[in-house]
Amino acid sequence: MLPGDEKVVERCLQGDDAAWETVVSQYAKRIYNLSYRYTSRRDEAEDLTQEIFIRVYQNLKSFRSESGSFQNWIMRVGRNLIIDHYRRTRRFQQAAGTEEMENMNLKDEKVASPQRIAEQSEAARFLGDGLQALSPELKEAIILRDLEGMPYLEIAELLGIPEGTVKSRINRARLELAKLLTKRRAQAGVQI
Amino acid sequence: MECGLVEDRLSEYVERTLPHEEMVRVAEHLQECARCQGLMEEIRSILVTCQAFPSYEADVELIDRVLLRTSGRPRSRSLRERLRAYFLRPILTPRFAMGVGLALLSAALLVDLMAPRVGTLASTLTPGELLSRMDRGVQQIYSAGLKLYDTKNEYQTQLSFFKNNLMHKLGFMIEQLDVPAEGNKKPDEQKQPEKVPAQPKKSSVLLLPA
Repeated sequence: MLPGDEKVVERCLQGDDAAWETVVSQYAKRIYNLSYRYTSRRDEAEDLTQEIFIRVYQNLKSFRSESGSFQNWIMRVGRNLIIDHYRRTRRFQQAAGTEEMENMNLKDEKVASPQRIAEQSEAARFLGDGLQALSPELKEAIILRDLEGMPYLEIAELLGIPEGTVKSRINRARLELAKLLTKRRAQAGVQI
Repeated sequence: MECGLVEDRLSEYVERTLPHEEMVRVAEHLQECARCQGLMEEIRSILVTCQAFPSYEADVELIDRVLLRTSGRPRSRSLRERLRAYFLRPILTPRFAMGVGLALLSAALLVDLMAPRVGTLASTLTPGELLSRMDRGVQQIYSAGLKLYDTKNEYQTQLSFFKNNLMHKLGFMIEQLDVPAEGNKKPDEQKQPEKVPAQPKKSSVLLLPA
C-alpha cells in the first residue's frame, strides 16, 4: 500500500471530498490505461473508467488493508468490471488499439526516423493481431505484465492465483504469441 | 536440455531471472537449436514492442466527470488552471484563430500597400539626396512660418480696421444724437448770456451825500 493510502481511504469514508479527489487523480491514469488495453477504444475506456471509480466509491467500506494494498484492490475492482464488460459485449478487441499503434513512438529514441516509426507501427500492428488470437486468459497475462508492467506478485494478488502460476501463464502466453507471430511471418514472408 | 524444458524457461531467461547454472544451460541449448533461438528472439522482440507502447494520461474532463458522478464536487483547480479557463479558453477557439488569421492577413496586405518601399528608400539615401531633402524640409518649414506670419498680420489688420471703423461710426452716431438736441431749443434759450449781477457803478455821484 502506498504511504498514506489507508488514511486517505479513512478520510474518504468520513466524507472528505478532497481525499476522494486525491484517490481519483492518483489512480485515474492507471485505470484508464488498463481499460484502454482491454477495449482498444478511447470512448469505451473512458466509460469503463467512470464505472470503475463509481464502483470503487460505492464499495470503499469493503476495503480491508489486511487483505492487500489499496492499489491492488482498485485494480481488482477494475479488472472485474472490465471482464464483466467483455462478457456483456462478447468481444475482446486487439489489446493494443489501432490508434495507439499508428501513433506509437519508440520510448528510447528521442527523434525516431520515419522509417523506424513505420517499422515499429508495423510491428505493433502485427503484435496486436497476434494478441487478438490468444485466449482471454493469456491475453490478460500479456496485458498486465508486458503492457502494464505490473510485477508478478501484484498480478498474483490481482488474479488471486499463486505467483508461480502467474509466471508460467505469462511464459505460456509469450510462447504462444511468439509461435503464432513466427508462423504468420513465415506465411506472409515479411521481415519485421 | 530438451526443447520443452527450454521453452518453459524462456521468459525467465529473457528477463535474466533464472539461476546462473540454468542460464548457462539454456544458452548452450539456444546455440545448438535454431528453433528455440528463433522463439527466444521473437519473445525478446515482443517485449521490446510492448515496452514501446505509450501510456496515456487520463483526461482532466474525465476526472471531472468521475468526481461529479461520485462525490458530486468538481475537481479543485489551481489558480493557473482557473486563469487559463477564464482567459484562454475563449481565445483558444477555431473561430478566434480564424479571426486573428484574417486580421493578420489584412494587416499584411495593408502594410504592403501603404508602407514605403524600404529598398527604394535605401537606394536614395546618398549624402546629396539627404542634403537636398533637408534643404527642402527647411524651406518648407520656413515657408510655413511665413504663411503663418502673413495670416497673423492679415488678421491683425482686419481687426484694427474693424476697430477704427467701429469707433468712427460710434463717434458719428454720437454727433448725430447731439445735433437735434440743440435744434429743439428756443431761440432765446439758445444763447442766453449769462446774467451778470449788476454791480453798482462806482460813480462819484452816488458817493455824494444826498
